[in-house]
Amino acid sequence: MLLFLFGAESRAAEPRRVLMLHAFNYTFPATTLIADGARKRLLERSPQPLEIDADFLDLARNTDAEYESRIAMFLRAKYERRPPDVVITLGSLALPFIVRHRDDIAPDAPVVFTSVSPQNYSALRLPPNITGIISVFNLDKTLALAERLQPEASRLFVIAGSGEVDRRWQSTARKTIEDRKRKFEVTYLFEHTYANLVEEVSKIPRDSIVMLLTVFADSEGNAFVPAQVAGSLSGVSPAPLYAPYDTYIGNGIVGGFVETFESVGVRAADLALQILAGKDPATIPPQTNPGQSYRVDHRALARWKLQESKLPPDTAVLFKEPTIWTEYRGPVNAAILIVALQSLIVGALLVQRQRRLRAENLLKESEERMTFAAAAANIGLWQFDRPRNELWATEHCRAMFGIARDAPLTRDAFLSAVHPDDLQTATQSLRRSLETEQPAISDVRIVLPSEEVRWVRMRARSRSEGGGRSNHLGGIFIDITEQKSAEAEVALQRLEVEHLMRVSVLGELSGSIAHEVNQPLTAILSNAQAALHLLAQESPDVVEIRDALEEIVHEDNRAGEVIHRLRGLLKKGERKAEYVNINDLVRSTISLLNSELIGRDINVRLDLESGESLARGDSVQLQQVLLNLVINAMDAMASTPTAQRSILISTREAQNGMVDVLVKDRGHGIRPKENGHLFEPFYTTKDHGLGLGLTLCSTIIQAHQGRLTLANDDGGGAIAVFSLPIQQPAIGNA
Amino acid sequence: MTEKFTVYLVDDDSGVLKALSRLLRAKGHDVKSYSSPQVFLEEHDVAVPGCVVLDVSMPGLDGLEIQRVLTAASGYHRPVVFVTGKGDIPTSVRAMKAGAIDFLTKPVKDKDLFEAVSRAEARDAESRRLHFEMESMQAKVSNLTPREREVFTHVVAGRLNKQIAGDLGTVEKTIKVHRSRMMEKLGIRTVADLVRMAEKLNLSK
Repeated sequence: MLLFLFGAESRAAEPRRVLMLHAFNYTFPATTLIADGARKRLLERSPQPLEIDADFLDLARNTDAEYESRIAMFLRAKYERRPPDVVITLGSLALPFIVRHRDDIAPDAPVVFTSVSPQNYSALRLPPNITGIISVFNLDKTLALAERLQPEASRLFVIAGSGEVDRRWQSTARKTIEDRKRKFEVTYLFEHTYANLVEEVSKIPRDSIVMLLTVFADSEGNAFVPAQVAGSLSGVSPAPLYAPYDTYIGNGIVGGFVETFESVGVRAADLALQILAGKDPATIPPQTNPGQSYRVDHRALARWKLQESKLPPDTAVLFKEPTIWTEYRGPVNAAILIVALQSLIVGALLVQRQRRLRAENLLKESEERMTFAAAAANIGLWQFDRPRNELWATEHCRAMFGIARDAPLTRDAFLSAVHPDDLQTATQSLRRSLETEQPAISDVRIVLPSEEVRWVRMRARSRSEGGGRSNHLGGIFIDITEQKSAEAEVALQRLEVEHLMRVSVLGELSGSIAHEVNQPLTAILSNAQAALHLLAQESPDVVEIRDALEEIVHEDNRAGEVIHRLRGLLKKGERKAEYVNINDLVRSTISLLNSELIGRDINVRLDLESGESLARGDSVQLQQVLLNLVINAMDAMASTPTAQRSILISTREAQNGMVDVLVKDRGHGIRPKENGHLFEPFYTTKDHGLGLGLTLCSTIIQAHQGRLTLANDDGGGAIAVFSLPIQQPAIGNA
Repeated sequence: MTEKFTVYLVDDDSGVLKALSRLLRAKGHDVKSYSSPQVFLEEHDVAVPGCVVLDVSMPGLDGLEIQRVLTAASGYHRPVVFVTGKGDIPTSVRAMKAGAIDFLTKPVKDKDLFEAVSRAEARDAESRRLHFEMESMQAKVSNLTPREREVFTHVVAGRLNKQIAGDLGTVEKTIKVHRSRMMEKLGIRTVADLVRMAEKLNLSK
């Protein structure tokens, strides 16, 4: 009993037996993986001890019936004494084998199969206590994956060998591809010799899709391990390979919609465990693809440059590199952070440096541009730091000031080039600019080493820094020699024109002026002849003779004065600054015009200020003005009845320190259309006028700080008034 | 005719005026100087023998105008010598046409002036004589009776006594009486003198 019990115990303790029946030899990864998965699971989950055996039928390499029966006999002998409690088949060919030889090897033992296609399953018409995992190798979904990853691909290559499984795949593939919506230019690489197949695959265009099914055997009957074939073919294929097999993943193909063989093994083990626990296998229906999913090899994606983003959701990406990242996440993170921060700082510094360099370049360029532009405009730029006695100036200043190329640009170098007469002007101007902080401008002459004199305009401006007293001066030098000479030329031309105008006025008056000289000449001649006659008498009247001689002297002076005035008016000369008695000016002018006035039947009245007012200026020019105004007055009265022709010339001292000279006529006055134009150059109302008279008069009067106005008199005629500032000479200087 | 020949000088330029005056006085002329033409015209007495030395261009009145005014006022041509600073041809032609003795340009040479003045003096004497002669002739003519004046015109027209008598509806004898009385009143002896007188008086129609 004890023994029995022991025996029972020992029987109870006797391990249950599981036979793993491999269709191929141990080198087949698919079946090996299923077996590994299943064994692990069984050992983990089994409540009682298990004895797991494995046998490799090697049916792929040995296909003859003799072999099959011999191995069946071998297995019967092997398990005769210890029959398995459950048989798990691995690889599709193992199931028909056990179905045919179960009675010999393991009578009535339930069978759990794996890797059986639905077609095989239904074709086998299995007895009831056989269940298992039906594998659908999903070509359709694998194709879908390929299409997603290669949307542009138009060619499809399908590879299958010449073995039994391979041939089943051939028809399945044709049907599946025909049923797909997307149409490809399909090349079926079926029934090739292996070498031929490798050759063909290596010529596949890059943008094609290659669908690898199984190559268990080639057309010459050589057996292959499909997973190894997958490795070889993906090694030579220019285009990405896809396959519905998990085992190919890792051997170079991109991936597919696959069941992992490990999970198949696990499922199969679960079924076996249920059966071992006493469940009737007939009540357990076979399962189909319990754990299929998209699986891809990241390395293959990278190799063919396929985008991970195009993968379907929930795709398992295998062999993804960043293992260091996952292992040393913390330190790596910290290191990366530090490196990133450092890079950031370095980057910022680099950017800063870049910017500074660029700014410096821009500044340099800008300065060069400015210097160039300034030099082109004949302008020199300078700055002076007074406390340090430092001067900065552009090179162009050298040329302007004639400073030698090797001489230093110092304040003294510049000052020594300034004309001695202008030195004070220059230094005063600069000092004033510093003191008043106002811009200062002064024109000075520069004597170049070649003795050439140039005019330079200095513009200076002080720059106060920090609000304190300014010690920095900056500014420009402009060469204004041409401007100055143009100004001088204009002045010269104006003098020329003034002179010409005087000459032309005198030319107009020549008859009258000749008369003015002729009168005293007449008197002189007659006096002289009278004296001669008197002397010829027997008792000459000495008194009368002396009177005659005195008259001669007087009249000669008179003629001399006229000629003197004429010479003054005819002479070309620079503008003089002298004291001019305004009343004398009026008188002498009228005396020049005397005969002209008589000739034109014009009565002249003078109403002169009793105090003899003095103005300062050029008497000739002022006389020219008055002459012009009186001639204008005379001309204006050409159509006035003789009896009414009169000119009133008056002088009066005004309140504002000016002396006014009025010339009033009884002529036609200023006509409305002339108003506003009379001072314009070349505007004339006369037949023979140049139209410069009043323009010149106005210019002359303005040059004397005076004003010339023209207006109509209420009583008819026009009044011309010019006002000049009264200048009293210092006593003893008059 | 008893008063002395006087030279009237008119010039607005006092220097010239004085000098010309001195020159003429040195030659022995009586001179009256006027610097204003208006004053000269106011004071001028045609009865006094003399001539005018006139400046052409003067303020107010010019020389030519003065000459015209003078002639218009007296009816006799006071001889005028013009002196001018600007001897332009149109002015000189106008002056000469108006009866000027001469047109001298300044400065005036003494010889020219003296010569002009002496010609003026002669002209003045002549015109003055003619003037008196005319006046006396006119006075004589005005003494004739109307009949004697009729006979005078007929005789001057060259008619014979008989023809005159026929014209006047009387007899030859009566005409003879009128004719001798008329000749006597006029102080004329010959018909030729009578014709000359009629011409002078502009009665010969």
